[in-house]
Amino acid sequence: MSADDYDPSPSNEELEAHLQTRNMVVNLGPSHPAMHGTVRMRVELDGETIVKVDTEIGFLHRGFQKSCENVTWTQCLPYTDRLNYVSALGNNFGFLHAVEELIGLEIPERAKYIRVIGAELHRICDHLTATGALGLELGAFAAFLYGVEARELLWDRVTELTGARLTTSYGRIGGLNRDLPPTWPALVEKSLKKTEELAGEVEALLSRNRIFVDRCRGTGIITTQDALDFGFTGPCLRANGVKYDVRKAKPYWVYDRLDFEVPVGASGDNYDRYLCRVEEMKQSIKMIRQCFKEMPEGPVMVDDWRIALPPKQEVYSTIEGVMAHFKLVMEGVQVPAGEVYSCTEGANGELGWYLRSDGSGRPYKVHVRAPGFHILSGVNKMIEGRMLADLVPTFDTINMIGGEVEQ
Amino acid sequence: MRLRWNVIIGSLTIIPGLLFGGVATGYLLGGLADKHLFVGAHHLVNVVLLLLVFVMVIATALTLAERKWSAMMQNRIGPNRARLPFLENSALSGVPHVITDVLKLLTKEAFIPKDASKLLFNLAPMLAFAPVFALFAIVPAGPTVNVFGFDIEMVAANPDFGLLYLFGIASLAVYGTSLAGWSSNNKFALLGGVRASSQMISYEVALGLGLVGMMIAFSTVQLGGPAGMSDLQSHYLPGWSTYLGPIDVGVPQWGFLLQPAGFILFFAAAFAETKRAPFDVPEGESEIIGYFVEYSGMQFGLFMIAEFVEVVVLSGVLIAIFFGGPYLPFGNLWLKSLFGPDWQWLYGSILGTVFWLKVVLLCYLQLAIRWTFPRFRYDQIQTLGWKILLPIGLANVFISGALILWDPSLKALAIAGGIEILVLVALTLTPTPAKSRADAHIGHHGPVDEHGHGADHALPAGHH
Repeated sequence: MSADDYDPSPSNEELEAHLQTRNMVVNLGPSHPAMHGTVRMRVELDGETIVKVDTEIGFLHRGFQKSCENVTWTQCLPYTDRLNYVSALGNNFGFLHAVEELIGLEIPERAKYIRVIGAELHRICDHLTATGALGLELGAFAAFLYGVEARELLWDRVTELTGARLTTSYGRIGGLNRDLPPTWPALVEKSLKKTEELAGEVEALLSRNRIFVDRCRGTGIITTQDALDFGFTGPCLRANGVKYDVRKAKPYWVYDRLDFEVPVGASGDNYDRYLCRVEEMKQSIKMIRQCFKEMPEGPVMVDDWRIALPPKQEVYSTIEGVMAHFKLVMEGVQVPAGEVYSCTEGANGELGWYLRSDGSGRPYKVHVRAPGFHILSGVNKMIEGRMLADLVPTFDTINMIGGEVEQ
Repeated sequence: MRLRWNVIIGSLTIIPGLLFGGVATGYLLGGLADKHLFVGAHHLVNVVLLLLVFVMVIATALTLAERKWSAMMQNRIGPNRARLPFLENSALSGVPHVITDVLKLLTKEAFIPKDASKLLFNLAPMLAFAPVFALFAIVPAGPTVNVFGFDIEMVAANPDFGLLYLFGIASLAVYGTSLAGWSSNNKFALLGGVRASSQMISYEVALGLGLVGMMIAFSTVQLGGPAGMSDLQSHYLPGWSTYLGPIDVGVPQWGFLLQPAGFILFFAAAFAETKRAPFDVPEGESEIIGYFVEYSGMQFGLFMIAEFVEVVVLSGVLIAIFFGGPYLPFGNLWLKSLFGPDWQWLYGSILGTVFWLKVVLLCYLQLAIRWTFPRFRYDQIQTLGWKILLPIGLANVFISGALILWDPSLKALAIAGGIEILVLVALTLTPTPAKSRADAHIGHHGPVDEHGHGADHALPAGHH
């Protein structure tokens, strides 16, 4: 082409062509305010729109399952505290329930009631944290602090019951290691009243707040089919209108005797997940009150020295006591060989345990089906194509807990 | 909560006392300056006093007040750890934290990322800080009174293009933020800078439109001086005033009463300009951390203090335009007549104190909003600005203009304003019917949130 032929004006095609842009890749986490529980998200952004999300977990991996294989069944208990660290009692009891199912053991009535009370108390804590954090990360700091104030109160009660706020390690195979403190029910009632008040405050601040509703409604939607395919359980599934709750579907302990509703949503968006949690707190409070009313007196531990530690009096004065104590501590509870899948309703959904025993005192295999893991895997479906800001409420309402997801 | 009466009574006397002392000093120094230097030298005194002392001190106090007030709202104690030597047993309501904060910011390393654009990176905090500071120059913080035979204006500068200066300088603030975002060479900061610039530029439209009604009503864009908006608001609506004994009472021409829609528009838009919650997407600490993510030390401190200065300046501007400037709603003439010609500076100082007290109250309102509301999403902010505030602003301009044409005494405007306020109050007090999902999906802004723009959609109703 000679210089004379050169036409400097661009062709129509050139003029109408879109600007060549590249997507921006942003690393959210592992240290990022929205990524609680140290998860990393590699987010590909087109402007403010999320094109692709790549979730990377494992920063909190501590080899839970392998660790369990090296200790006795009872010694696994402290490890389970660290799964969902906001509601440790739920994990403790869930694990114990699975082991008991493997043994084929029925625990005393009173222990069942106390387990329900503990699990529900911690469910409230979990939901308070989730709803509060949702407010916090959307900028409504006050809601978070009200929620946390109530949670602290409940954790104080948990401390009186178990000796620790977070790492409760409460309960033993065959029941509970200790009964309720004498004045505890009255204290719990008082705390529940205050919790109701504070949770009401959180609800008043958020539920009908125009900005909050705009941020949550219609964002982070997952279709029911996708939710089921990914294995969603708990409030995240119920927000889609699927009425699946282990407490109703496969009642354990005394849930079949308790009068409670399972709240369900309709649209599977952040707002429905939030409302489900708010409503579940109310149901849990109702359940705890009911348990206190109906709870019988009696032992909290099975009377079987192969499973329960003998009373100290017996240990110090009889040879049978010493031997039972020694065998239980050194070798652990002899769980018959076999395998079991057992599940309870954790705060975030179905907390499942696949346990396998070779008949020795130590687990052959412990596998946890952590509810958060399945929900986290569906997070792409929820936010790809949406805005970056939607990631925040979505990540909050699925309430991903690093401890249980990354084990 | 236990009411600590000593603290309450103490602050109720100390704060107005300090303000009064400051304003009185301003008037007297201004008078002396005019007498001994040259006529008009009091403006120099005002630059130092109003900008460097009043605005700066109140902004600094706000850094603490924000934490203390938010603590109050959230059942917390708030900062109380920093102590002064020899006073280790008293938290002094957290006041030592102001000192420790400044010390910390000043002694921290001013870190500059390796690939940052150094010049712009260093320039950005200054560009963010200076314009908001300069905004206050045209805000009159007290009446014009005669001291030592000279007319002393309590304003740093009183140009006849007052509000235009305000718009011009306000739009400069965007440079600091967007440059900070761009020059940091950080993706989060870039996102923040882009968000900030688009938000601030969009809201300038509503910001301007909100004030047009007031400009038409008073036929001026000047703020200070006898023909300025601030002084005009001390007059009563013609015929709607009387005397109760020696005290004059009536319906004042406060902008808030004449232009409630304009006030809400301007307030919402200016709030967006300050980039504070619920409009804090450029910061959005849970998503993108903010345009100043790479800044540390006092450079970050400048962004921070600029935000608080903005709060004070916005309060001052709002009061000068919508809340009668330094004047009381009634009894101004009576107050003036109490003092003889040699003591007019006392009259001025009392009204100056009133002005600053109004400023503090509005600052409290802004912080209360900031601590109560969640953050908008980026696109929701644009929707609010372009699809809700802009049409309301346009409607307001046309309706107000028509009303003023029809009745130049502004009474019709005041009646329309009164109706608007009544509708807003009624809407706020009406309980919303139980959650109806479909309804909430359609209406973008229901009467649910009370801080102004939520009630916006009611405004057309007030206008017919």
